[in-house]
Amino acid sequence: MTVLAAQGICKSFGRRRVLTGLDLDVAPGEMVAVVGENGTGKTTLLRILAGDLRPDAGTVTIGGRPGYCPQTVILDEALTVDQHVRYFQAAYGISSLARAGELIERLGFAASRGQRAGTLSGGTRQKLSLTLALMHDPPVLLLDEPYQGFDWQTYLAFWDLASELTAAGTATVVISHLVFEHKRFDRICQLADGRIQEVSSHAPAA
Amino acid sequence: MRQQLDTAIRLTLAAQVRNRLAWVLLVAFVPVWYLLIGSMIPHKGAGFRLRATGTTVIVDGHNLTLITAGLSAITLITGFVVFATVRRSLPFDRRLVLSGYRQSALIAAKTTAALAQALGIGAYAAAIMLIFWRPAGMWAIAAAFILGAATYAALGLLIGVLVRGDLEGFFLIIMISMLDTFLENPVDNPLANKHILEFFPSYAPTQFAAAGAFHHQVLASMAALSLAWTAAFALLGLAVLRLRLPRPARARPAAEPVPQPPATEPGTPLASPGSNRPARAKTV
Repeated sequence: MTVLAAQGICKSFGRRRVLTGLDLDVAPGEMVAVVGENGTGKTTLLRILAGDLRPDAGTVTIGGRPGYCPQTVILDEALTVDQHVRYFQAAYGISSLARAGELIERLGFAASRGQRAGTLSGGTRQKLSLTLALMHDPPVLLLDEPYQGFDWQTYLAFWDLASELTAAGTATVVISHLVFEHKRFDRICQLADGRIQEVSSHAPAA
Repeated sequence: MRQQLDTAIRLTLAAQVRNRLAWVLLVAFVPVWYLLIGSMIPHKGAGFRLRATGTTVIVDGHNLTLITAGLSAITLITGFVVFATVRRSLPFDRRLVLSGYRQSALIAAKTTAALAQALGIGAYAAAIMLIFWRPAGMWAIAAAFILGAATYAALGLLIGVLVRGDLEGFFLIIMISMLDTFLENPVDNPLANKHILEFFPSYAPTQFAAAGAFHHQVLASMAALSLAWTAAFALLGLAVLRLRLPRPARARPAAEPVPQPPATEPGTPLASPGSNRPARAKTV
């Protein structure tokens, strides 16, 4: 059984063919990295998986509302951290903000809850973006270069969180141009010429 | 839906009131503009054609210029505030829709917030005018300012969803507002009474304000014409906004597992008791 299935995904921008019949299946609790050189279509793929971009051909099926953390941090500069959390509470239709509060504590930016996004540091903006993607306990997590700007402690906190989510059955797709810690992933998919060219499997992270 | 609408209205307004430049323009620019115009234009008679009645009335040129100056200021400020808010928040709105926010709730919230801005800015500009001139038909000027502000709020929304860059948008709003309001005043422009000006957005508010202030008349047709401009700009803007937001995914019950060949070992079940996970699935 898979919780995310992309089949025959094609996408072109003008004459430039970026994705040419890509297939990707991810099972619950699986941690998958999609790697590739700059311009190979990694971000395009993630945007299509998240529903932010329509493929020219192919289908994407996801078992639930995914948590999506785009490469460019997308926030409303005029709103505070807490106001962002309330906006996404309404978007996800969840009654409790306990999980959001827990994530804010664990990622270490509770002191910034009243601060406007426009005044946050780059790393804190990334933490907020990640919190917004995770606060509804998504069955599928789509992360594009998620740890850009994180300090070492936050980087470790991120992987602790990711391990917990994986253990709880969350399927995670991480887009990165470089993967430093291969052993953290169940599969590493190489994206080239518009398709997944090579898949290397590893034992799941402990 | 109700929770989404309430939240979106509250937070859209919260974001709008944090536009510091708009506050500076409102607090400083409006009275200074009245003061400058008022000190430069003498109290001389000017022929102003009230098109709805078909008569040309002689009005105080200084006072008429205060009306067109007020319209000029509020159209600029309202257009700018709504344009800046819509343009800045568009990527964030896309993210909200991807996360489950209803397009209709966001669109309704943007409309409500834009109209609230128009009401506040129009009423404020009318109140400040009382420092310089206290006409008997002040209510008509206030209503005309609110109507003009609403039209430019809708125009700001339209430009906000159409234009790619900030500078292009600001220039468009400034040029349209300056031309539109400047041409309506016969003191500044000898061609002000030409028929062509009937096709400009600030024609109706100018006529409504002048008729109320100088002739004690209520030109309902002008109010309707102004509202028609507002509706046209708003409908166009909201239609483009709807196109620029992602289309919501079709829902399917989560109880049905996605039929796919097994890729790896099956994981744990999708949702656990007490989790925040919504029971939904999507197919793109």
